[in-house]
Amino acid sequence: MVEDDQTIADFVSKGLAESGHAVDVAADGDKGFELAVTGGYDAAIVDVMLPRLDGLALIDRLRARGVRTPVLILSARRTVDDRVKGLQAGGDDYLTKPFAFAELLARLQALIRRSTGQTEPTKLSLADLSLDLLTRQAERAETPIDLRPREYGLLEYLLRNQGRVLTKTMILSHVWGYNFDPGTNVVDVLVSRLREKIDRDFEPKLLHTVRGVGYVLKVS
Amino acid sequence: MQSASPGVQNEERGARLGLRLAFWYALVFVVTSLAIVLLTYRLLAASLEERDQQLVNSTLREYSQRYAEGGLRSLADAVEIEQRSGRRERMFVRVVRGDSETLFLSAPYAWNDFDVSRLRGLGGLEEILSQSGTARLEVASARFRDGTLLQVGKSSENREALLARFRTVLSIVALVIVALGLAGGAIVTQSTLQPIRQLISAVRGIVRTGRLEARVPVRPERDAIDELSSLFNEMLDRITTLIRGMEHALDNVAHDLRTPMTRLRGVAERALQSDDPQAQREALITSLEESERILAMLDTLMDISEAETGTMRLELSDVPVAGIVGDVVELYENVAEDKHISVSTEIDAGLTVPADARRLRPVLANLIDNAIKYTPAGGQVMVKGHRDGTVVRLEVADTGLGIASNDLPHIWDRLYRGDQSRAERGLGLGLSLVRAIVAAHGGSVDVSAEPGKGSTFVVTLPADRESGSITHV
Repeated sequence: MVEDDQTIADFVSKGLAESGHAVDVAADGDKGFELAVTGGYDAAIVDVMLPRLDGLALIDRLRARGVRTPVLILSARRTVDDRVKGLQAGGDDYLTKPFAFAELLARLQALIRRSTGQTEPTKLSLADLSLDLLTRQAERAETPIDLRPREYGLLEYLLRNQGRVLTKTMILSHVWGYNFDPGTNVVDVLVSRLREKIDRDFEPKLLHTVRGVGYVLKVS
Repeated sequence: MQSASPGVQNEERGARLGLRLAFWYALVFVVTSLAIVLLTYRLLAASLEERDQQLVNSTLREYSQRYAEGGLRSLADAVEIEQRSGRRERMFVRVVRGDSETLFLSAPYAWNDFDVSRLRGLGGLEEILSQSGTARLEVASARFRDGTLLQVGKSSENREALLARFRTVLSIVALVIVALGLAGGAIVTQSTLQPIRQLISAVRGIVRTGRLEARVPVRPERDAIDELSSLFNEMLDRITTLIRGMEHALDNVAHDLRTPMTRLRGVAERALQSDDPQAQREALITSLEESERILAMLDTLMDISEAETGTMRLELSDVPVAGIVGDVVELYENVAEDKHISVSTEIDAGLTVPADARRLRPVLANLIDNAIKYTPAGGQVMVKGHRDGTVVRLEVADTGLGIASNDLPHIWDRLYRGDQSRAERGLGLGLSLVRAIVAAHGGSVDVSAEPGKGSTFVVTLPADRESGSITHV
């Protein structure tokens, strides 16, 4: 992780360590470059505004050296142009500050999954809940569950990220593709509908609310 | 002093430009005028020459006839009479027998300068140069059956004299032209460059002082330079508006964020003073939610400011209205269902509107969200879209609470919340955002509402990209 803000670097690296990742932190672009070239990392988190060598230039230099490590860009700038610039420089994903740690973790793991070329499963499951991605059929305890398209989208997203907390913003942008504040919490309503279908008549409960943060699908 | 040297340099550059312009103007003017003078002279000379030749030829024909009819005597008489009476211009007339025996010769005394023995008498037009080389004798000849040769000629002397006078006049004219060209060039460039110099000094003044109120003077002539000047002023107006808008927006953002920041701080302070872990946990959750709200607010405020100051970049495309309305309605499908509100749409088939879909979606979402929020269970929300001449009208109508008439003028204000609205979750920024984005698209929003019966919001957008003058300020 290349980040000059000590607090952010601490909270991210601690969080990543807790979820089983080893993290090295560099406080400026030059050190970040040295680490990235020698390290053999699964992924890099790079802040855009960095002392000595800015994030985009760092990525550019890494790509020029043939370093293929997937890069997640962190930036305080949120316009579409900035996003495009970041991805053009060779970044693989772009996350705007402030961010929920849950989202950072989810995106990072998606990047690692993609770069290590894990095969796409055709069936997702947790406990006795399963979702067939080909027939688009969901089952809980061998009982077929009828899902509407957005409920299906949400369940697939939760199953792919089981055990990880997903924020409302993440769900809104993943399930509907929107990045604006819809006012009324449409995500809450959708979650409670899905919960009705997959959890109400079954035990153990799988879809949990993490207050203040979002939702998580897990056995507990 | 620091800025003096580039200023002097610019002045020099301006002067050089003026000199160059004057030079080219004068060059083009003089060359063209001289070409016309030269052409005139050439034409005159040619036509004089042609006239002389015609005269020689016609005289030769006449005298030949006279000689053929009445012999040498008759010819000599005719020549004598004509020359003396001045009925005809003085000509050279000679009758030669054999090769060199001159039978008759009549010529003005002044023409003795010509060596007529060099004439061959070959028919057609012959020319001999005078011994002094100043004039030419042009002679036509005709040979008779008895072997005599009649020669009629004319000296180019008169013609040359005329042309010489003409040349003198033309030289004077040419001199005047050159003088006029130079003076005119200087005056024209001076007067052309004058407004440019004014523009430069005005702009330089603005750059140096940073005073944006200064304007370039625009003369009433309305030529290209005045247009440039007024365009420049327009640009300054826009920059001023932008800067004012940004200052204003920054003030607003700072002000609007202070309240939620205070709340956030209050929650954290209270939690620190409490020893109850459960209360602290609650406080943390509240803090997170509050920070989410602050972020959402900041984003919305930024969007509003961008749209209001005209810095929002719109990627216009022909957005299918039924599609975008359908998407947004679908977003609130569950919410409406839970509240037992029926949402129906009525959109003209194939209706499109030139807009930035990414920006238009939050507009519709805000209006539809409001309609559902403020409509009691069992009510109706109706979204209509139709084209009306050069505009597209998008209408969101509900059978809800309506809006109290004393709230109506304030609903577009940032952070304004009517009494009914306070009960609902929201930032109080939705309608400001709606209006700012619609205005950035060159459209407008209107509302009509009746308390207890419902509200209708109408978004009017230009239907064609051309007619829709999207003003960014």
